[in-house]
Order: sequence, then C-alpha cells, then structure tokens
Amino acid sequence: MSTEYGIALGMIETRGLVPAIEAADAMTKAAEVRLVSREFVGGGYVTILVRGETGAVNAAVRAGADACERVGDGLVAAHIIARPHNEVEQVVSNAAKA
Amino acid sequence: MSTEYGIALGMIETRGLVPAIEAADAMTKAAEVRLVSREFVGGGYVTILVRGETGAVNAAVRAGADACERVGDGLVAAHIIARPHKEVEPVLTNAKA
Repeated sequence: MSTEYGIALGMIETRGLVPAIEAADAMTKAAEVRLVSREFVGGGYVTILVRGETGAVNAAVRAGADACERVGDGLVAAHIIARPHNEVEQVVSNAAKA
Repeated sequence: MSTEYGIALGMIETRGLVPAIEAADAMTKAAEVRLVSREFVGGGYVTILVRGETGAVNAAVRAGADACERVGDGLVAAHIIARPHKEVEPVLTNAKA
C-alpha cells in the first residue's frame, strides 16, 4: 500500500474534528499527498494520516499544521516519518481499516 | 504466542496517536522486536505493545520513549516486563482483539 501512495508518512493530531478537517484540506491543497486515514483517538483527539513523497508530505504537514493552529482548540502534534519501518505499516493500515 | 516473538513484553503509552506511531517506528528500528498490539485505551491514550528478547525490548522501549517525548502531548508510560506471568498472556491477546 505504501508504494502506491509514496513512502513517507505525515501525521497531524488536533483537539476536535474541525481543525482536523481544516488541516486535511490544507494538506491536500498544499502538495500531492493522499489522505489514508482519519482516526478518532478518543478524548477529543483526531488524527489525520497522509502519505506521499517525502518532500510533498513535508510541505503538506507544515501547511496543515499552520492552517489548523488558528481553528478551534487547534494543533496537538504534527510529525513526519520519511520511511516507516515495515512493522509500523500494520499500525497505520489498522488505523485506516478501523 | 510469547515464544514465537520472544518472551519479554515492552509497553509504551502516549497521549494521542501521533507520538504512538513515532514510538512504534523508533522501537522497531532500534531493535529486533515485534509490534503485537496497538490499543486505543480511551481518553486519548494509545498503547503500543512489543515483544522480543529482553535486551532488545529494553533497547526498543528506551528508544521509543525518547523519540515520542518530543512529539505532541508525548509520553505517559514506558515499561518492560521481562517475563510476564502465564496468567497475563490472555490479557495481552484480548488487547489484540
């Protein structure tokens, strides 16, 4: 699956759904990335996962973090993993499935 | 199941999913461990369970705790059990479901 979308993984976590949607919108507009999952973690946390080329994911996550900071309760975490370990793929795809 | 992956159990709990994934990545890169479960505990807590040889699990959990401390709301707990009691195994497999 990872090869289909590009290798790198970008993650944005927000407090509340509205900043998450704003981040997802900004990310997909900023660069060529695919949204692979939106996760309700619990406690009001929402996580958005994107995949794409490392440069695109980097640009997207920066844009997304910037955009959602001003919305609602805003940003909790923004992070990039350029090449997730094979074992981690199952965590990511489980997140996509659930 | 435990013999398949190695005996020792490593656990990392974080506030939020992003530090949990970062920890999982750091753990699997740091040492020969298997991710056995990712658990949404509730209240925003996420737990990652790994298994492997005691030394590997030790190294992995230290690396994972270090890595995820800087991400988001970060680390809640990092812990190792070198040889979980047989009675505890069903709790871990339940956690998998």
